[in-house]
Amino acid sequence: MSFAQIHILQTNIIYVILLQMISVIGYYTTKFGELWEKSLFDLTEEALFGVLKESQIEKERIDAVFFGNMLGGVLENNLHSPSKIAEIMGTHIPVFRAEAACASGGAAFNLAYTYLEANPGKTVLVIGAEKMTDYSPEEVISALTAASSGEEQESGLTFPGLYAMMARVYLETYQYSAKDLNYVSYKNHYHGSLNDRAHFRNKVSLREIESSPLIADPFRVLDCSPISDGASAVIMTSDKKIISKREKTMKVLATEVATDTISLKSRNYLDGIEAARIAGKKAFQKAAMRPGDIQVAELHDCFSIAELFAMEDLGFWKKGTAGKRISLLETMLGSGHTLTTNTSGGLKAAGHPVGATGIKQIGEVFLQLTRQAGKRQIKNADKGLTHNVGGSGGTAIVSIFTV
Amino acid sequence: MAVSPVKIWRRQKEIRSLLHQRGNILSWTVIYAPSDEFKKNAPYTVVLVEFNNGDRAFGQLVECETDKVRIGMPVYSTLRKVREVSHEDVIAYGLKFKPSHHEKS
Repeated sequence: MSFAQIHILQTNIIYVILLQMISVIGYYTTKFGELWEKSLFDLTEEALFGVLKESQIEKERIDAVFFGNMLGGVLENNLHSPSKIAEIMGTHIPVFRAEAACASGGAAFNLAYTYLEANPGKTVLVIGAEKMTDYSPEEVISALTAASSGEEQESGLTFPGLYAMMARVYLETYQYSAKDLNYVSYKNHYHGSLNDRAHFRNKVSLREIESSPLIADPFRVLDCSPISDGASAVIMTSDKKIISKREKTMKVLATEVATDTISLKSRNYLDGIEAARIAGKKAFQKAAMRPGDIQVAELHDCFSIAELFAMEDLGFWKKGTAGKRISLLETMLGSGHTLTTNTSGGLKAAGHPVGATGIKQIGEVFLQLTRQAGKRQIKNADKGLTHNVGGSGGTAIVSIFTV
Repeated sequence: MAVSPVKIWRRQKEIRSLLHQRGNILSWTVIYAPSDEFKKNAPYTVVLVEFNNGDRAFGQLVECETDKVRIGMPVYSTLRKVREVSHEDVIAYGLKFKPSHHEKS
């Protein structure tokens, strides 16, 4: 081969990389909630076949499956789920499980994306699922603490407790009160009332939120996302023929992961989540966008404070101002402002089956950008973002999409 | 779930150096909805403390009313029972904190 030929070859490779488009072409989610009639793999099966049908793709066209799940091993003594998924699908393709606590779904999506980057012309199914309500709340709380440090577990800290410690620092530093957090649940329950797949379809008043029982001071029940069952799935492809045949597709412009210490005590600061800030910055750079460009975002509101952190960590609002700005309800459907957050109801109202959450977030943005969000449709949205956080901020995944 | 006695033994070697140290509360919470293991203690206060040497540790705060807890409050570390899963298990001792005004001079 001559130098000229090598040059042409290199140019072609760069050309192919530049042209490579990775898109989400379909989404399905089970209802989230207390689904006593369904096991982890009943939910998984429903989402697997649901998304194939929704996307009009035969299962033979799927080249690999990525599965996000946290608690199957801890609660149910149920590992090696990839093999179980192969059994359900009747296939021999590669199946991988990703685990990053509450960011397991986002982690599965990120790995699936890198798989497609490395394998042009392939199609993958990404699914997240969690079964939580077979066990008592105390057992589930204990299982979830597996995602914290040994010392945090030994001191009796729970996940609400860890976030409550961060909330306390934020509220004191910027001089807010616990009541300033209530607008997150108020808004997200309103959005959940419009989502027929949500765990909770009821609106809640500010008074109900501030008088609900304490869970971990300053959080009350209505500051906390619930324990839910559910499964969500998307199909993502780098096959141009498949993309060009479809009207409802969503391009993935960026999906970035950042990590941090598992223990809160070793973080650089407690009034925000540094991993989310880093992942967000990288994602905006890669997508060549700024926070002001985003019109719809699904944020990881596991506790009310977490949506305030997300707004600041991602650069939508200035540090220290979220406690005030949230009360203006600018990010609520119908407010007329540029950005609407958690139209699904967020983790708070849509529910939080931990492995499914990261995929449901991407699915909700897909529904919004492809105009399939029904009663909660935002007008003219064409740029969306998802923010999925594991543990108390030890993993964060931020993804940016367009149509 | 039972904690291996070997893990408890390893942990106790670390704890020795953290005992009887003074520091200040960086943040705190009161747990009302605990896991099974801590159910009988609830509600209980958990604090994150920065020792005077800059090290940090988590532990429950004892001998202090919850409405008295504040960020910045001086505390000191002490050895207390932290885990007793069942009568069959080895009892785990570990760090807890007391307000500094309780300290014997």
